[in-house]
Amino acid sequence: MKRLILALALLLTTAAAFAQNDLVKLDDVHSGTMLIQTTQPGLYIPAPAVDTDVKLHIRGLIVRGQVTQTFRNPASTCAEAIYAFPLPENATVDRMRLTVGQRVIEGEIKERGDAKKVYEQAKSEGKHASLLEQERPNIFTVNVANIAAGEEVVVAIEYQQTIEYRDGAFSLRFPTTIAPRYVPNGVVDAIRISPPVTPAPNPIHITVDLDAGFALREIDGVTHKIDATPQSGSHYVVRLENAQVPADRDFELRWLPDLGSEPKSAVFTESSKSGTYALIMMMPPQTQRREALPKESIFVIVNSGSMEGTSLNEAKTALQLALDRLSPRDRFNVMAFHDHTVVLWPDAKEATKDAVGEAKSFVDALKAESGTEMLPALEAALNDTHADSQEIRQVIFMTDGQVGNESELFQYIQSHLGRSRLFTVGIGNAPNSHFMRSASRLGRGTFTYIGDIAQVQEKMTSLFEKLESPVLSDVEIRFDDPAAEMWPRRIPDLYAGQPVIVAVKLSQPNGRVVASGRLGTTEWSDTHSVASNDEESGIAKLWARQQIESIVDEAPSDMKQKVTDVALQYHLVTEYTSLVAVDRTPADAKGAVCEARKVPVTLAAGWHGTTPDGSLPQTATPAPLMLIAGALLLGIAALIARMQS
Amino acid sequence: MKKRLALASALAGLLLLSNGAYIYAKARYGQFLLERAWARTRSGEANAKPWSWADTAPIARLEFPARGASYIVLSGASGRTMAWGPGHVDGTAMPNAPGNCAISAHRDTQFSVLRAVRIGEEIVVESADGSRVKYRVKETRVTNDRDLALLAPSGGRMLTLITCYPFDAVTPGGHGRYAVIAEK
Repeated sequence: MKRLILALALLLTTAAAFAQNDLVKLDDVHSGTMLIQTTQPGLYIPAPAVDTDVKLHIRGLIVRGQVTQTFRNPASTCAEAIYAFPLPENATVDRMRLTVGQRVIEGEIKERGDAKKVYEQAKSEGKHASLLEQERPNIFTVNVANIAAGEEVVVAIEYQQTIEYRDGAFSLRFPTTIAPRYVPNGVVDAIRISPPVTPAPNPIHITVDLDAGFALREIDGVTHKIDATPQSGSHYVVRLENAQVPADRDFELRWLPDLGSEPKSAVFTESSKSGTYALIMMMPPQTQRREALPKESIFVIVNSGSMEGTSLNEAKTALQLALDRLSPRDRFNVMAFHDHTVVLWPDAKEATKDAVGEAKSFVDALKAESGTEMLPALEAALNDTHADSQEIRQVIFMTDGQVGNESELFQYIQSHLGRSRLFTVGIGNAPNSHFMRSASRLGRGTFTYIGDIAQVQEKMTSLFEKLESPVLSDVEIRFDDPAAEMWPRRIPDLYAGQPVIVAVKLSQPNGRVVASGRLGTTEWSDTHSVASNDEESGIAKLWARQQIESIVDEAPSDMKQKVTDVALQYHLVTEYTSLVAVDRTPADAKGAVCEARKVPVTLAAGWHGTTPDGSLPQTATPAPLMLIAGALLLGIAALIARMQS
Repeated sequence: MKKRLALASALAGLLLLSNGAYIYAKARYGQFLLERAWARTRSGEANAKPWSWADTAPIARLEFPARGASYIVLSGASGRTMAWGPGHVDGTAMPNAPGNCAISAHRDTQFSVLRAVRIGEEIVVESADGSRVKYRVKETRVTNDRDLALLAPSGGRMLTLITCYPFDAVTPGGHGRYAVIAEK
């Protein structure tokens, strides 16, 4: 008998351990994955990917990715699954089609409320439908019900993203590996006795169609051996040397443009029913042959009460770093504001050792005061006493952006910018990023966010390195098409290491575009002719995205309507529109439909409790429990006392 | 022996009762202190601490006109803060700023009010600069504590109120959550 119990116990632990060992959480998903739902909320069994085909189409900085994946339901029963796809920060899924047996589930962009209605209605009718949802920042999920045991599901999605350019190279990473398995606490013994998992070879095919817009010095398959076949001009087709590789590591591709010593520009086009769209990309030169030009720097720091504590200390540290970097040829001034603005000197001074020392002790003595009146500070910062100078004037504005009169401030920046450029630096736990990003866009500068005191040094250094090396100022882009609609409307300056991107909608497919600017004291310009081009390269979508950003910046009263209109027309997922998956199965297609079921698993010990970062606040007090238990104990006491008497 | 047992039971019972009552008293009396601190905040004092050792400060007033209820919202949604009043979840939008502002409170103290709140109802938020924004309830949702989508940023002004679910549960620490989502 004893032996039987022992055997039974061992069997149970093994079963539990096996199930547990294969489970993953949504947070563990690092590439497109089909997850079978289990009876344990938040825990899934990953379905093996049978095949993955990836097509990446790159034009300049835009990537259009097409991913087609086939999965098989590994459970021995009919199951309900979730398809989860992690995306880089600036990527969005805009097309999706799932095929399950004879069923086809197609994603459509709808106004958010409508999408929800469609989804709820289909759900109440017992149909298969799903809303493309953002479960975690940058993980998109789609529910799929009724996948028969062993049945295959084909998922095709399209997404768009922009590429990072760093240290003279563009690089693109595509995640192909499934996350490492989750090992819960307290089941170490159980795992030791569970059978080893043999890695399934998931074949993956990757094709990249690359046109960087500039001749390339080098294309490098960082993680895989590649074959790059030059087409015409700057156009290449890249394939993996082994047509099929196991998906055991991410795919990374790097390409280095040949830029020489002058700025360069490139133009891409996309023609569609709604018009011709052009993308103008300007690249800084590879080597800077001029030495840094003298500049005027205005530092503005907010010392209002909302900055008290770490935020103000962060800002002060950041500002001291900036003062240390000034060159003696630069001129500068420092201002601090709370309910009024304190200006160190009436006019900017040369950055002599004494002046820098005086400024540093001024900053050191700053304390948090009450109130935040930003407009007078902005007026003081943009008050340019040498407005006709050719010198660069940079305003570095460090604040948490807690203001109420945003639109008034935006208007002021727009009308009083002159030769100044506004660089906002967001400091503190919850800076008003919307305000600061919009302000920097209107001010033709950039927004830097510092969330943590440990990042001050790194982020400020990279900002100042950039500010010290402006390449091309007063950048202008002109078209011979009077109806051209360009976003952003105000073009920032070109800095070392950072390309400038402008998207435009043209009324005619052919024409000329001239990009120009000032290189120190000389003029620079580049002329291109626009040709019509039928391939879908994502330029129209990028144009629409930038238009939406501008609408959100301006925040008109009918913002929601305006954004929704653009999003619906260009098939974009935004704050106000969703991708809803509708089952398009023809009524006469009679596939075997089984009852959707969650696969049962045993919950191992150590799974209770939540992670500090991964869950919502705890929102119940033990008071009711205490009251009930207290009353109960009093009752017992009374009962005992009565029994005794 | 039995006498001693009865005494021990009675003592433990009283202790538990008073602890439970203390939690409710703190949640109720705390709001009076917070009202005073809020008045100071509204008259321009930054970071007005409700009591000298507080590690939080009032940042908004949350009103439920249809329920005749109003609470002072504190910065941060830690257990220590929520013992006194609803807490603003760090990292979400500030009250009345564009974006998604999440506020959470206990289901058995201030946010027991959420049980009665209906779709279409009005919720008013007063922020430190005196601006009053009316929000309308768009959705109520039963979910779990892993549903971080509730904290996802939003373009328009949005208010997400979170508490524990079910309302009548006795033991704390459950994974159920109840959310009221309102938009301007």
